[in-house]
Amino acid sequence: MTLRVLLVEDDRGLRVTLRDAMTVEGYKVYTAASLQEGMMLLSNVKPDGGDADEAGVDLILLDLGLPDGSGEAVLAAVRRRHSIPVVVISARQEDGLKIGLLDQGADDYLVKPFSIGELLARMRVALRHRGTYLKAAVTLYESEGLTIDLVGRQVSHNNVPIHLTPTEFQLLARLARSAGQVVTHRQLLNDVWGAEFVEHTHYLRLYMAQLRGKLEVDPADPQRLLTELGVGYRLIDAAR
Amino acid sequence: MIWLDPKVDLANLALVLILGSAFATLWLPAWISVAGSAVSVFVFNWMFVSPRGHLNVEVHQDTLLLISLLLVTWIIAALMAVQRATSDQAGAHARQAEQLRDFGETLRDSPDPLVHAELLRQALSALTSGDVKLLVVKGETPQGDEGENALLLGRPGADQLEGLWHCVRSAKPLGHGTGRYSALPDWYFPMRGREATLGAALVGRAITSPNIEGSMQAGLRSQAQALCDQFGLAMERALTARAAARARDLAQTQNVRNAMLAAISHDYRTPLATIMGAASSLAEQGPRLDDEQRERLARTIMEESTQLSRLTDNMLQLARLYAPGMRLGLDWESAEEVVGAILRRVRRHDPDRRVRAILEPGLPLARCDALLLSQMLDNLVDNALKYSASLLPVEIAVRRQEGNIVFSVSDRGMGVHPDWRERIFEAFQRGVAAQAPDALPADARAAQRGAGVGLTVCRAIARAHGGELSYRPREGGGSTFEFRLPEVEPPRVAREAAREGVP
Repeated sequence: MTLRVLLVEDDRGLRVTLRDAMTVEGYKVYTAASLQEGMMLLSNVKPDGGDADEAGVDLILLDLGLPDGSGEAVLAAVRRRHSIPVVVISARQEDGLKIGLLDQGADDYLVKPFSIGELLARMRVALRHRGTYLKAAVTLYESEGLTIDLVGRQVSHNNVPIHLTPTEFQLLARLARSAGQVVTHRQLLNDVWGAEFVEHTHYLRLYMAQLRGKLEVDPADPQRLLTELGVGYRLIDAAR
Repeated sequence: MIWLDPKVDLANLALVLILGSAFATLWLPAWISVAGSAVSVFVFNWMFVSPRGHLNVEVHQDTLLLISLLLVTWIIAALMAVQRATSDQAGAHARQAEQLRDFGETLRDSPDPLVHAELLRQALSALTSGDVKLLVVKGETPQGDEGENALLLGRPGADQLEGLWHCVRSAKPLGHGTGRYSALPDWYFPMRGREATLGAALVGRAITSPNIEGSMQAGLRSQAQALCDQFGLAMERALTARAAARARDLAQTQNVRNAMLAAISHDYRTPLATIMGAASSLAEQGPRLDDEQRERLARTIMEESTQLSRLTDNMLQLARLYAPGMRLGLDWESAEEVVGAILRRVRRHDPDRRVRAILEPGLPLARCDALLLSQMLDNLVDNALKYSASLLPVEIAVRRQEGNIVFSVSDRGMGVHPDWRERIFEAFQRGVAAQAPDALPADARAAQRGAGVGLTVCRAIARAHGGELSYRPREGGGSTFEFRLPEVEPPRVAREAAREGVP
């Protein structure tokens, strides 16, 4: 099945380049140059013979600075009706903005300029994550010898059990449920420690260091538990 | 006295009377003591001087005694009254001096005296117990459009406002006893600085009523004027300080802008030219090139655009760091994480894994802006990779030393010429290097080229954190750039949490 992508980007050069690159990769690309056009396409493109409420695209690539308003409006509108993945592309890179968008339901965030390879990889992760999300909640994470059994609360590496404290496990489980995606500091602190801890970043630093000590070969050069500086953490995607 | 009567004679009884009235004058007002002593002399006459029970006096000697008694008690009362008035006045002067000093200190401690205008109003009001209205000029004494630039306290009427402005312009007090506009119902005091008058105070009718003595009025007036002048001076000082800060900011903005223009004109042209060349070659000769040539051109475009992108980031960061009122996004960061994120990013253009990290175990959390710190280390690592021969290692090390967390990036490159060890951090030096490249030693030229504003940004980041970035030659050849970040005690809860986490 051909995956359909809605690209909302006002810069003509970048729009054409991205469209061509994605078409080469086998996506069907709808392009929009403005917020209005994007919203119109979103409501008009329907899957063949599908449900009228279902979105006609599988993924949205969204630029933030559009001539007729901010892409954040599209994000809000999409999130009200659909659960399709949204990857934001923007020239703005203040981390406050990134965190805000991720918290509002964006799946990922790419700062311009970026390479096509990176964009395609992020798109694949976003699609895969949504797929598993729609089917069932993640119960088992497996990647490069690391197994996390979220139901049985067991963690092992190459079948050797790893002992984690309850808090360490909760933190790892939260990351595993969103494997491949950035989980913001705020989300992690809120989900693992509770709402009153959302400002206590130092808790996260200490527990991440402990987790890395147990799960990484070289904690100073992590391969699984990746840091998104100023934003949050990302556990590498299971299927890679 | 009645009890003493049978025991002592008349003269000694009289002494007791004098003692009593002397004590009375210590506490009672003068006129009561005078009247009281007269009454007590009559009572004394009635009760003790023979014939008792009459005001008549038998012996002439006793008349003299009574008159003396009366006069002595009156003199005591009068002396006491004078003494009391003098000490009251001294007390008032001391209070006024103290008021001036307190007010002066309050003003000195405040960067903006304008917020203390209400305090001046209260002080004047307490001093004169009259109605006080203020006009304070917020900027330099304005020409023409006056209303815009003034702060009014106490809602003066139209006439009063006119008077206040006149007072500001003439810089002289107006009103009764000042020799200017004596017929005015109120007093007007200018707030005089050294060079300009920055406001005026109106003091209402209460104290100008004629039943207060002229000398006292003059005293109050000079105290009120002193308070106003103190405020005027403080206002002037604040305005001067603000103007100086503005000028400094402007000069700095101008410097940064110049550095950027210099950098754009030089640093942007080179990669742009390369990109233009490669891209036009691809567009025009595409079919005639073989696959390998095409790929090489495309890679060139990629690399040069990465460079341009880094340059743009640095340029923007520099503008942000030098902007007045810049604030860091400080948080508790782990050095290990920041270095780990950098390693991961560097791997993309360092497939041979030349970059290595050496972290001292047990490092404390660092209080810093993670994005800025990573931008600094990124720049330093990028420079190190660029200016040392391929396959030579580049090290990122983090250690604790003398209350600092020290981040260092070292290479085995050619190092920096001694003449350039400070100047490589200055963006303006780019201009010199660009103008006369041949006059510089080759290594300095190399260190300059491409480093661009990178090291300037790194140093600005270091200083924004209250730390310092410095260069030192490395033993055995090469360069080390060291960032010393002062250690801050992390919150206590963190330690408890860490203990709880250990199984």
